[in-house]
Amino acid sequence: MTRKRRIYDGILNALTYLSSGIAVIILVMVLQFVFVRGWSGVNFDLLSKPYWSGNNTIEFPQFKTGAFDRPDHLGDDIAFSEKLGIGLSDGLDAYKEHQVVVEYLDPESPLHHGVVSTAGVDLGKELGLSEGSNIVNLMLKDTDDKIVNVGAQRKSTAEETVAAMDNISEMRKIYFKTEGGGINGSLKATLYLIGLSLVIALPIGIAAAIYLNEYAKANRVTNAMRSSIELLSGVPSIIFGLMGVSVLFPITQLMGIHTVSIILGALTMAVVLLPLIIRQTEESLKVVPIDLRYASLSLGATQTQTIFKVILPSALPGILTATLLSISRIIGESAALIYTMGTFIADRPRLDQGATTLAVQIWSLMSGEQPNFELSSTISIIILLIVLALNVSVKLISYRINKKWSVS
Amino acid sequence: MKTFEIKDLNLWYGDFHALKDIDMDIRNNKVSAFIGPSGCGKSTFLRVLNRMNDLIDGTKITGQVLFNGQEIYAPESDVVTLRTKVGMVFQKPNPFPMSVYDNVAYGLRVQGIKNKAVLNDTVEDSLKKAALWEEVKDRLSDNALQLSGGQQQRLCIARAIALSPEVILMDEPTSALDPIATGKIEELMESLKKDYTIAIVTLSMQQAARISDYTAFFLLGDLIEMGPTREVFHKPNDKRTEDYITGRFG
Ligand SMILES: Nc1ncnc2c1ncn2[C@@H]1O[C@H](COP(=O)(O)OP(=O)(O)OP(=O)(O)O)[C@@H](O)[C@H]1O
Ligand SMILES: [Mg+2]
Repeated sequence: MTRKRRIYDGILNALTYLSSGIAVIILVMVLQFVFVRGWSGVNFDLLSKPYWSGNNTIEFPQFKTGAFDRPDHLGDDIAFSEKLGIGLSDGLDAYKEHQVVVEYLDPESPLHHGVVSTAGVDLGKELGLSEGSNIVNLMLKDTDDKIVNVGAQRKSTAEETVAAMDNISEMRKIYFKTEGGGINGSLKATLYLIGLSLVIALPIGIAAAIYLNEYAKANRVTNAMRSSIELLSGVPSIIFGLMGVSVLFPITQLMGIHTVSIILGALTMAVVLLPLIIRQTEESLKVVPIDLRYASLSLGATQTQTIFKVILPSALPGILTATLLSISRIIGESAALIYTMGTFIADRPRLDQGATTLAVQIWSLMSGEQPNFELSSTISIIILLIVLALNVSVKLISYRINKKWSVS
Repeated sequence: MKTFEIKDLNLWYGDFHALKDIDMDIRNNKVSAFIGPSGCGKSTFLRVLNRMNDLIDGTKITGQVLFNGQEIYAPESDVVTLRTKVGMVFQKPNPFPMSVYDNVAYGLRVQGIKNKAVLNDTVEDSLKKAALWEEVKDRLSDNALQLSGGQQQRLCIARAIALSPEVILMDEPTSALDPIATGKIEELMESLKKDYTIAIVTLSMQQAARISDYTAFFLLGDLIEMGPTREVFHKPNDKRTEDYITGRFG
């Protein structure tokens, strides 16, 4: 009997250890995969760079050369033009094609003062060369009045390009590509979405929680409300996406928006977040000691005053927790947003147009013909770090709530 | 002078008959103590006087409760005004998680009083009356939860006093405190008596004997007897009162 029991216990223990071991290994593998692929791409430039590279042709109506000193910090592999104050290097783009990359541009360089020369809305607008751009073709007149073309298209090296620049008499045209592959647009769209969703969902959610916890009598209507909130929080978000398109889209249409948009995404996310906010806020209202309500009422405060002066302030940490969890949820959401905000990565997101959040940008990057693992992994790391920070904050807050009420 | 006159008072929690045919007068500027075994309805009766039972679902109340001759359960009676005149101190100290100052100023602020000078004066005055001023005058902006239990309870008394009530109701105000803090609060009650009418629920016979002018003995929702404290303790009219008091003492 005891022997049998010991074997039985042994098997169960082994299974437990094995399962937890597998879980840990899987977690470590996921993290390793993401970090190994994406860590090299993590830098601050990424946050400020657009995703799409731009094609620009500029001319220089008033062109004057100068005399510039090579800054000390430039590496040996960078060729520097003393007449134009520009540092160039040889590089490769995502498709392993040769590039002539602007590594450094002196603040006084004449190359800052160009105007757009391609036909279109931007024609005549001021546009300068910028660091990080790739010089595709550069047309200039040299000191012998001969037209010279250099740049990546001509397979010129950085060295050759600089040599041509230092022999310049007149600048004609520069055709360059601004650097892409960044996440600036998605970052902005994510922030817009967070802001707008919270502005919609927080007041409604908090008010609903106050109603449920403070005013509602325990009857069938409130019970039905509670059950539907429970139900809502278990619904897969793709269904919210469908609801957004079919139910909320007409609302944004009334506002004159006829495509997917950040507003539509925010409305949808607000619906997704409501159950979370209501439940979290209600929880935090519940733990406010009943004694405080009595104290307030016994001092001649009305119920409304009691709620707004005593209960809500005491519930504030809980509401903050709800807010942070909501932000986490928005950052992690993708299914509900693909339908409502579209999958086109917008570098300059607008509320009334479609855009991608960071998570949806990953979806877009991976669903194309050439999945971009590196950038996707980098974005994943950024998302993981943000979510980690949010979770730590939530832990800290709930720790402080517990401490607060256990003292009194 | 009678602050409260209660006639034929009955109270039910749902089907449970918690107070039965109570008749009682509460005299002004005296301390009235309510004693009786646990569950006999002392707290319930106290809450009748500032209508805190209104907050409990399913309570039903009949009879008359006159405060300065006015029926407080009349439809036109304003419960918010009543509670500013009839303050309450609870069994467990329950300061708000705010500063000491804000705690005392709370009652005035919800009345809409914002004048800084008025608030400052009232806070100082109330804390002095509650014998707490010397201990907290340098910590007015500290969170009230940092005070000791006894200080918290005196803060709650100051908070009630700040509204200049006529009556202060106290439900076992010292049961969560040590003997020294209890002594301080008992002293305080003695000094408050000249300005306020006090009704106190207590489980301690000694406390009732020490501090009260009148004592009422409750049993299972009935008011058995009420009279001057000396008489109730030394020659009670009812056998049950005597049993309870001597049982406790013996
Ligand atoms: N909210 C309530 N709902 C239902 N019954 C209640 C409620 N509050 C009190 N009672 C009942 O009413 C009776 C009187 O309660 P009360 O709290 O007034 O007693 P008490 O004399 O203050 O007792 P204690 O000395 O233990 O505080 C008790 O039987 C109690 O169970
Ligand atoms: Mg009681």
